[in-house]
Amino acid sequence: MASIEYFEVECPEKTGGRYYQRIADVVLLDHNLIRVIRKIHFFIDPRVPIFVAVGITRKMPGPVRLRDFSDVSVQDDKVTISIGDETYLAKLLESLWDIFGKERVEQPDRFTVVITAGTDETKDLEDLVVDDPSLSIYKDLIYALQVIQPEGFKVRRQYYGDGRFYLVASEDTLPEDIDDLVREKFALLEESP
Amino acid sequence: MILVPVTYKGGIYQHDEIIDLIEDLGGYIIQKHIIATEVVLQALVPKEDIELIQRIGKPLTGELTPSPLVGTEIAVVSMSLEIHHLPHASCDLAEYIRRFGAKTNMVGLARGFGKRIAQLNDEERDVINEHDLAVYLLGNFETCIEQKFGVLRRGIDIPIVVCGGPSRESLQEIIDPPVDGYVGNVGRFMHRTKESEELDKLEEVVGEITRVLDRRREDLAKDPLSISPARLMDTINEKVDAIHEVLSPTPITVQMAGLRVKLPYDQYARILKDLVIEEDVTIGDIVDIHPSRMRDYILLKVRPFSETNIMV
Repeated sequence: MASIEYFEVECPEKTGGRYYQRIADVVLLDHNLIRVIRKIHFFIDPRVPIFVAVGITRKMPGPVRLRDFSDVSVQDDKVTISIGDETYLAKLLESLWDIFGKERVEQPDRFTVVITAGTDETKDLEDLVVDDPSLSIYKDLIYALQVIQPEGFKVRRQYYGDGRFYLVASEDTLPEDIDDLVREKFALLEESP
Repeated sequence: MILVPVTYKGGIYQHDEIIDLIEDLGGYIIQKHIIATEVVLQALVPKEDIELIQRIGKPLTGELTPSPLVGTEIAVVSMSLEIHHLPHASCDLAEYIRRFGAKTNMVGLARGFGKRIAQLNDEERDVINEHDLAVYLLGNFETCIEQKFGVLRRGIDIPIVVCGGPSRESLQEIIDPPVDGYVGNVGRFMHRTKESEELDKLEEVVGEITRVLDRRREDLAKDPLSISPARLMDTINEKVDAIHEVLSPTPITVQMAGLRVKLPYDQYARILKDLVIEEDVTIGDIVDIHPSRMRDYILLKVRPFSETNIMV
């Protein structure tokens, strides 16, 4: 599994910073985000108090299509789908029910789905997009950062786009120069190899 | 007769014999758990009979271990009940203390988090004060602990053990006035405690709690209680039938100087007060009965000999 290229916790309290390094590591690992993030920098100053997390994501994995995890065979008006990876089964069934209706989609056993439909309807079935992980990554990422941040920091601002993300949080109103601080931390990421 | 807190672990087969033996010797069973085919008894037994119990328990695969915290009720105060503090470290610690015989209650503060915004309300304060000791699980930053701890301890009059991320020395330095116990390097963490040094840390917390409670025991011994809480529990178990209908794991929780009886205060406070312990001594003569802030339970506080002039 790819690891994060740059992972720093900056904190004026050395001991506290070390703990947060471990917390961030465990949380990102628990939420399966290690392979998503390329660089991440945390800045925590309990004296202000402020928590800043800035990061750059890797290229997101593309959408998952039906052919990526199953075999599709067509026989007359019957299409048999043999599932290789169950992870996407629930989402696949939902999509199939939407397209063909529940009465035409059968699941005789755990790894087989049989659809009764004409060839016109099923000709592009293998290219059906079942799941798009990049859509949920944003939510997962922000959720994980909220778990990492100290709990009382209820005033938050977050952003995600163009492969970059940040979250700033505090228990007081965010300082006016917060954008400068975020820019400064992003510069650190860009400087690092 | 000196009673020693112990835990007995053994097979379920003929475990009644051990219970009878402890009771016949003048000891008290504080709590009994049956887990699959194993029985765990937390008991106070006479010091000189430990060997006898071990000998009789041996054929029943019984094992007797000292449990310094049997007969105490400890509050583990977590700054909140959010994922930031649960299940690690709060549950890990509460569960570990339980292994040494204590009855631990987790007190999750409604607004314990944050530096400036942290506060303790009157209900939380009163609930914490009903325990023998409070373990405060604080965070990782010195700055925060220094500022917020004063607010969180306001009105707490039981011994406090503070656990926090900074080292023990730093905690001692920033907490003013001092508390009874400190354990450093146990702050907020998000992983399960299973490595040996982490378990050593939990052990250190238990050691600190034991030290603080031993000191409290010494203080209590200077002016002994009019009745031992374990004996009081026995009397209530014997004479109040309703206690056997309570489904809680410990219908009566034994504390160092009292009991928490899990019966409704309005209906049973009067009954308990008039209950005869011995000859013409009633519970009301030697015990203060209060409503608990925890549900509608009853809190009994045994008065010392110097106040009652009665010893049963």
